[in-house]
Order: sequence, then structure tokens, then C-alpha cells
Amino acid sequence: MSDYKAIVIGGSAGSFALVLKLLSRLSPSFDIPIIICMHRLKHIRSGLVESLNVKSKIKVVEPNDKERIEKGKAYLAPSNYHMFIEFDGTISLSIEDMNNHSRPSIDYTLSSASVAFRDRCVGIILTGANKDGAKGIKDIADKKGFTIVQDPATAEVDTMPKSALRVMKPNLILSPDGIIDFLNNLK
Amino acid sequence: MDFKTFLQEFKKITDYDFCDYSENSISRRLQKICDETKMTFEEILRRCVTDRPFMGRVVEDITVNTTELFRDPQVWVSLFNTLYKSLPKTTVTFWHIGCSVGLEVYSNLIMLSELNMLDKCRIIGTDINPRVLSVAKKGEYAYSFNKYFEDNFNAVMRGIGSKSKFSDYFDIDEKKDQIKIKPPLLGKPRFICHNLVMGQSPFAYRVDVVFFRNVMIYFNDALQRKIMAMVYSKMYDNSFLILGKREDLPKSLKSKFISNNIFFQKAN
Repeated sequence: MSDYKAIVIGGSAGSFALVLKLLSRLSPSFDIPIIICMHRLKHIRSGLVESLNVKSKIKVVEPNDKERIEKGKAYLAPSNYHMFIEFDGTISLSIEDMNNHSRPSIDYTLSSASVAFRDRCVGIILTGANKDGAKGIKDIADKKGFTIVQDPATAEVDTMPKSALRVMKPNLILSPDGIIDFLNNLK
Repeated sequence: MDFKTFLQEFKKITDYDFCDYSENSISRRLQKICDETKMTFEEILRRCVTDRPFMGRVVEDITVNTTELFRDPQVWVSLFNTLYKSLPKTTVTFWHIGCSVGLEVYSNLIMLSELNMLDKCRIIGTDINPRVLSVAKKGEYAYSFNKYFEDNFNAVMRGIGSKSKFSDYFDIDEKKDQIKIKPPLLGKPRFICHNLVMGQSPFAYRVDVVFFRNVMIYFNDALQRKIMAMVYSKMYDNSFLILGKREDLPKSLKSKFISNNIFFQKAN
């Protein structure tokens, strides 16, 4: 059994292909819930979860409000909603103002996870063209959660990982393959 | 003072009860108010006692006022082809709960206008916040900031096979950077200030269609059940209920509705 209650991942430009790769190479027995907040383009609002499910080794869902987080599933922030983790292990949604020009906001998801899971949370920041997520991953680090930032040299767009590295020092800076290995060896 | 104590004290001095709101969202919004006003919870409470306009602004900042024209265009196209085509032939009453500045109300009116049904409809929008209701009544919105409204509008019109243009429904004033809904849609809906949390209905009649999208997400389970029970009592058998795309009914009410992924219909 792992000590971690959830893996929380944020990414923007270029992160879709990376998340797809990551989910497709997970061990099928991977049972820590994965919570994913990805920015998406306005005109591509649907179809994302379907595409991820084609290759993912674990089931990917866009959660409803108040949905309970379960083992062995991945949760994708629904388009045009902010996604939060509540203390009772449920997901809550909001349509309030954009944060860092984004809805969903990665900061909101990661910060709420840092409060709900404290040191029993792994936060990962991937490629992206926006600073959203930097504050969130810092919050996870401040609560002694385990933090990973994608190596900017391997990122399609390095603004997001670099913004994170400016405000915090992660436990690991990894390539995409390194992140996959890390996850599959978490047990 | 923690935010829960603040909300209890706030309820005592203002009649506004936010105690059963979802914790994450409300605690962050309260933090934002403290940051922006540079005041502590204690200071905010003290000022609310004597300064009603200030209290009003705090209520405004606690509640979420996001709304957009034709949010989720594909949902509106589906509604057009299903719900709108099976409405009763007599007067139809619509209730938009938590209507904010009214953009969903006007989205509904545009659908009804496309179907030549405006005359036989009664439309009510309610919200806790008087300021957003006055914007809804005026039907005036910023233009360039909301350019995507026009994209949503065009996507819906394409989807329902209509040739209507954005300018058929809105006056566009680029100098003032403003759009304004045109008559006869303007002035058609009735907007009522109503605090849902009290659990009482704001009018005496029943309704055929309830738009209740992305409001319940801000409430905890207990409050959701209380409010849904009131809404349920205002619906006829076979009345329609539309929730947000990622919302579901409280468990206790699931067996009382038939669902088809786009809307819920009260079972008889």
C-alpha cells in the first residue's frame, strides 16, 4: 500500500499528449487516484476524456460535483469548471471567475489538494504556456507533499515548469519517462 | 476567528446564511475579501453592522456571479431538439434560479423567439444579489471581453439550423464597448430578488421548466436537499429541470425524476 492518497497533475500547452502517454504506460494495477487539471482550448471542449480512455490503463472520468474520489481511477477537471478536493475526499466544482486566465485553474486544484491531503499527496507540474500551477505546487511542497516538476528541457512549452521552479524547489525534476517510472514504482 | 465562525456571526447580523456553502469555494472567496479589503473577519463583521452598502458588497463577493450566453452550446442544441419541442401548448412558465446578470435567461428567450413561442411564455429569473439583477433588467453587457458569446450564439444557431444573426438580438455599440439585448426580449422576463437558502418559494404558481445550472455546486449536501425539495414542490408532474453539465440530483430525489443526460423530468 502506498502512503499517498492522490497524485495531482497540472499541465497546459503540450500536456495532453504527455498525460495520454503517462496514463497508457501506467501499471494496470495502479490504484492511487490520479487527479488531472489541464487547460484546454475553448473550441476543443469535449472529447478529451474519451480520447484518454482509449489508451489509459485506468478509467478516466470527468467528475460530477460532490463525486467521491475512488481508487484506481483518474479524474479530469471538466471543461469550463474549476475543480477542488474537499476534506471529505469528494470533488467539488465551481464556475467562478477565471484564475490566471484559466478555468479550470491548476492552482485551485493543487492548493485544495494540499489542504485536503497534506503530506500524503504527490503534485506534478508538466509542460505549459502559463504560470498557473506554480502557486499550487508550492502549496503542496509547503505541506510536505511530494513534488515533481517536468524538466523544462523536455517540455514542449517550458513556461509552466519554469514558473514553478522559480517559486519552489521540488523533490524531483524529471523527464516524461522519469515521471512514468516514478509512478509505477510508488508502491 | 475561522471562516465558519465568521459565517455564523455574519448570519446573525445580516440574515444572509452562507453556513452550508461548500467549504473550499467559500473559504477561498472569504480569504479574497480579506486580502482585497485588508480587513480581518472581526473588522468586516463590525463594519457590516453599521455600513449596509459595505455588507451588500461582501454578499456580492461571497456569491459567484459567473454566467454566459449559451454556456455549453451543444447542450442548448440538444434542448432545442428535445425539451423545447415537447413543451405544453398552454402558457409555459420558466424559472431561472440564481440567474445572475441574466445571460442564461436571454439564451432561453432567444430559443423561444426562434420557435415563435415568446408570447405564450412567462419567464422569471431569481437571484440573491440585487446588483446583478439590475444588470439583468438592463440587458447590457461588455462587448470585447465577452466576444465568445457571439461564438456560442453562432454555434447554437448553426446547430438548430437557424439563419438568425447575433445582431438580430443584440445592439452592438463598439464605441461604448457594449452589447444590449433588444426588445421584445428586453423587458420580457421578470427578475425577483430571492434568497434560496431560506427554503421558501418566491412566487405562488408552479413552473414548467426550471433552469438550475451550476448553483447547487456551491451548497453542501444538507442544503442541496432542502432547496431541491422546495424546487420539486414548485414543479408539475412532467415539468423539466436542467442542471449544470457536471451536476447531479441529490440521491433522495433520483427516483422522482426521469433523466436523459441533458435534462430531468419530474416523474408522475
